Amino acid sequence: MKIYNIKFLFAALFASFLVVGCSNDDDGDITPPPAAVDFSGTFSQVDHLGRPGINTVLNGTADNKNMHNRTIPSNMSATFQAPFEARLEALHDAYAIALGFTAADVDYENNILGDILNGPEPTSESNPNIVSATVLTTVLSQDVLEVAPDFPTTYFNPGAGAPSFDGAIGFTGRKLQDDVIDVSLILLFGGETGARFNGEGGFPQLVTDGVSLTAGNITTSFPYIGAPE
Amino acid sequence: MKKIKIFAVLGIILAAPIFIAADHVDAPGVAGSTADLADFYAFEPTTGSDNTVFIVDVQSNVLPDLTYGTFDEDVLIEINIDLDGDLVEDQVIQAIPRDGTMYFFGPFSPSTTGLDSQVNTSSALGSVEISSTTAITTTTSNGVSLFAGPRQDAFYFDFVRFNEVLAPSPEDNSGFNVPGTDTFDGANTLSIALEVPNSLLGAPTAVNVIGLPVYKTWVTTNRRQ
Repeated sequence: MKIYNIKFLFAALFASFLVVGCSNDDDGDITPPPAAVDFSGTFSQVDHLGRPGINTVLNGTADNKNMHNRTIPSNMSATFQAPFEARLEALHDAYAIALGFTAADVDYENNILGDILNGPEPTSESNPNIVSATVLTTVLSQDVLEVAPDFPTTYFNPGAGAPSFDGAIGFTGRKLQDDVIDVSLILLFGGETGARFNGEGGFPQLVTDGVSLTAGNITTSFPYIGAPE
Repeated sequence: MKKIKIFAVLGIILAAPIFIAADHVDAPGVAGSTADLADFYAFEPTTGSDNTVFIVDVQSNVLPDLTYGTFDEDVLIEINIDLDGDLVEDQVIQAIPRDGTMYFFGPFSPSTTGLDSQVNTSSALGSVEISSTTAITTTTSNGVSLFAGPRQDAFYFDFVRFNEVLAPSPEDNSGFNVPGTDTFDGANTLSIALEVPNSLLGAPTAVNVIGLPVYKTWVTTNRRQ
């Protein structure tokens, strides 16, 4: 049984228009640093990071990469959604041409997330997969990392896969071990099955980079990230 | 017409210098500098825990000639947490080094948001000696664990092949290699880590794509002007 509902995607996409600001000013106990230490000055933003790989993969020009690092998240979709979508389609076009097709022959295909969200019934006109290139790049252009305080952390796991997607879960944070690159590739190039362009049938391998975790020093206690090599 | 556009895009891809995911060396304005963010992790440390862990990596020695090894006293690291889903920070945690110690501030609700910051010295959280190889950690009176120091870079990615995959040709159109080669195997980074009781951050009303309540978080580096 799929646990997701299409309404949640819309809720996530449009929450920013529906919710007014709030604040929580609970600072806990305060331990001031020594008064002699100088922390004065104004600090101006030079780098930004939310989800891994967004700026690297989806911004295609040096100017946009620099601009991305100086853009606040609430302005990111307006600035970067269209270039991200163009970049996504250009990468599909590049493979079309390299494989001897025309650019128009190969486009992004609405992805596995949309198949999860539209329930166990097959995708059809009456049960559409809504994660179009525009929807996907709208979500990804809001470059923030979501972490659920009250649920186990899973970057993305399609569970049993199509058609049931039993146990599917995700978007609840990023652990040190997570294969974030493969997840990103699956969402960008994997199509509705997650396995489009999987290196078979004469098509390129674009849904895994073929590497897994090599960092052997990760621990189960704070600070979790392992000792340097 | 379409092909002209495509080849123009390909030309840009081919001409671009090498950029690396996750965020290592991501843009020419910050690449290889002391303020270059490498990775950001946020997770529940154990099932059912009432804490959230944040780990921020800056700098990397994954490639030669990158600045690596010392936290810069002119670089302020900020973890931003949006509770209500408007993509504006409701809580901020700051970290900045001074003379071998990493000082932390917050979580606090910022009076202003945007691209410029000051250290919020009225919201001091605590401090920890910057570690060398062996981790030195401390826990504040309000239950926040703190760490700063060099660590093993946990990220893994065949970035060498990735840069080739971005520019396919009729002679090389097979995509990634399986197995590939982890470019980050053996690399180190500078990490700060915090384990924060969720009660200090507040309950989120924002939801993720599947409807679960989430903090929407991001990290920035900010250089003293």
